[in-house]
Amino acid sequence: MLRQVERLPRRIAGYFRHVLRCLTGGSWWRGIALLGGLLTATVLGALFVAWTGLVSVSAHTEHWAVTRWFLGFAMRNAVETQSIGIEPPRLDDRTLVLKGAGHYETGCAACHGAPGKPRSLIVQHMIPSPPYLPDHLEQWDPSELFWIVHNGLKYTAMPAWPAYERKDEVWAMVAFLQRLPTMTPAEYEALAFGPTPAPGDGGSSALLDTLSDPLGPVLADCARCHGAEGLGRGAGAFPKLAGQSETYLLESLRAYANGARKSGVMQPIAAGLDDEVLQRLARHYAQLPADATVPATDEADEAVEYDEAELAQALRLAEHGAAERGVPSCTDCHGPKSGPINPAYPAIAGQYAEYLALQLELFKSGHRGGTDYANVMHSAAQRLTPEQIDQLARYYASQPWEAIERVTEPRD
Amino acid sequence: MKPTVLAPRSGLLLATAILLAGCDGPQSALAPAGDGAERIANLFWWMLGGSAVIWTLVLGLAAYVTRFSRGKHSLVASRWLILGGGVVFPTVVLSALLIYGLMLIPALRTPEDVGMRVEVSGEQWWWRVHYPSPDGGGPIELANEVRLPLGERVAFDLLSPDVIHSFWVPSLAGKVDMIPGRTTELIVQPTQLGTFRGACAEYCGTAHALMNFQVVVMEPAAFERWLAHQAEPAQPPRSEIAQRGLESFLANGCGACHAIRGTEADGRLGPDLTHVGSRLGLGADVLPNTTEAFVRWIGHTDRIKPDVRMPAYGMLPDDELAALATYLSELE
Repeated sequence: MLRQVERLPRRIAGYFRHVLRCLTGGSWWRGIALLGGLLTATVLGALFVAWTGLVSVSAHTEHWAVTRWFLGFAMRNAVETQSIGIEPPRLDDRTLVLKGAGHYETGCAACHGAPGKPRSLIVQHMIPSPPYLPDHLEQWDPSELFWIVHNGLKYTAMPAWPAYERKDEVWAMVAFLQRLPTMTPAEYEALAFGPTPAPGDGGSSALLDTLSDPLGPVLADCARCHGAEGLGRGAGAFPKLAGQSETYLLESLRAYANGARKSGVMQPIAAGLDDEVLQRLARHYAQLPADATVPATDEADEAVEYDEAELAQALRLAEHGAAERGVPSCTDCHGPKSGPINPAYPAIAGQYAEYLALQLELFKSGHRGGTDYANVMHSAAQRLTPEQIDQLARYYASQPWEAIERVTEPRD
Repeated sequence: MKPTVLAPRSGLLLATAILLAGCDGPQSALAPAGDGAERIANLFWWMLGGSAVIWTLVLGLAAYVTRFSRGKHSLVASRWLILGGGVVFPTVVLSALLIYGLMLIPALRTPEDVGMRVEVSGEQWWWRVHYPSPDGGGPIELANEVRLPLGERVAFDLLSPDVIHSFWVPSLAGKVDMIPGRTTELIVQPTQLGTFRGACAEYCGTAHALMNFQVVVMEPAAFERWLAHQAEPAQPPRSEIAQRGLESFLANGCGACHAIRGTEADGRLGPDLTHVGSRLGLGADVLPNTTEAFVRWIGHTDRIKPDVRMPAYGMLPDDELAALATYLSELE
């Protein structure tokens, strides 16, 4: 018995050799021809089955367990391998979390759910159905999440980030996702909707007022991030819009809508609105008072202390640029200055420092895009050093937000 | 039969005529109009003549030994010939040339009798020019054009803030490199009136070939008038359209990089435009100085001069571009 078992492998090998010899007659050529024939038959067979229309593509039934396993296995390994070398920035930054939360509500919550918000019944009938994210994040580290949000996943409904250049936005989303598993519904509401009541929680007459205006629902959505007063959320995640030049606001919205200004957050929103709505939005925010105090929120940073000497240095840089590096002055286009300013140029005094610094970095990298005038800033910011970017952003943030004289009539 | 004999000869004549025509013109070291260029041209002609003589001798000798005297030559005579023609003769000729060439240099470089110092800075891809103020004040900044009084020795202080450029006006003098972190010097003494062309003679980046300038040699009195005029601030706009051009210039932030003395525009990054309308060319002499060329230049800077630092302002409405161009052309 034992000897028979010992011999078994050799007997099996011998059996296969025998069968192979019968099929090929010992000739290599016949072996290759046989293999080719088998392959052709398989391909033709698969084509035939597909042609008959009998392949099950119905999402009514699940994948076979083996198919599901294989697809998941391939996906997990692909994400793991292809996220090698991605270094996460600091993710415990409230600006990033806020920005991620605002967009999660716009672009992700419908499929992936959110604290206190189950996934829609419709998406639960997708194959594969998008996971309820708060419960499924632990298996991925930040670099892997970055890869998934940035690239999306083929054969699932997970889209790639609409503005592939904007890695900073993807990291904002990842920063938010880090907080998601332990987030209570109330925390989520506060992050994604801010002080404005969420649409649908009913009752408030202010909400009914905005809903009676055709622009109301759009404005309510804008207000989640930019605030009802257009002053942002106090933490530099979102720019102040109140009192901004109307031409600049409109041209920027149009640039988002046609993809000239890159943003996975703003592009989808602007592209979904008519030009008439964009015009009304621009007018609305341009008319809001710019000097109102930013409502204090729990996310607001403490006031930053500026060093006097440092401010003076920043002022020189803003007024005269850095000729030895080929950096032009800021004030000739953005003020403060006495003469007129092209209304297509934004006012930046009093804007959030974080927002300004990010824009300068994007301009410097050449990835920002924007209105027809964006090339001017791409050229101006090209040779700024990180220290200069920081100095300028903090200088302008510390200046009073002022309505700058704009003589030229806005163009259509 | 006759035409077949004549055709190659007339073709040769024509080719020679065309080639020789290339020796003339506003940018030719063979048509000198300055002291330095004349000395260099002299040296060139001596070298050309000498090389022609040596070339004829060598070929004659080769023909002699291969055609006319094929037999064995005396070993001693051959050795003397090799030693004489291969060592002694070149040493003497080359030493003489070297001494002659070296003797030219002090005359080209003596700072004595220099009447005026002009500072020229080669920058990617244009020329920043500083003239001494006629009334003894600070230097006057101009760009992309140099004017010189006839007969005066002028010293150029040559600088570069970015990469190595080379300042060369072939008709007037030799070329001198502009090296970042150093000041090099070139002394020019024009001997003829006229307009000459200068170019950057050291590859300095994408638009190197588009970095040129004009040099105008004027009567001393006319030069004084020109310099006095350049020292003045810009004249105010004379027409309504020019006024709109000035407003557009300021509102669009052109003053961040360009200065127009007498206005709020005080940028130092790009060329001073106070008297840009008086120059012979635009964009470091890549376009003629006309209103139409100004519209093209402002609207398509990047296409006319690739990689140029000035952003193109083609997004401005046509009437605004036209107003800007009118204003700038009128800045004479």
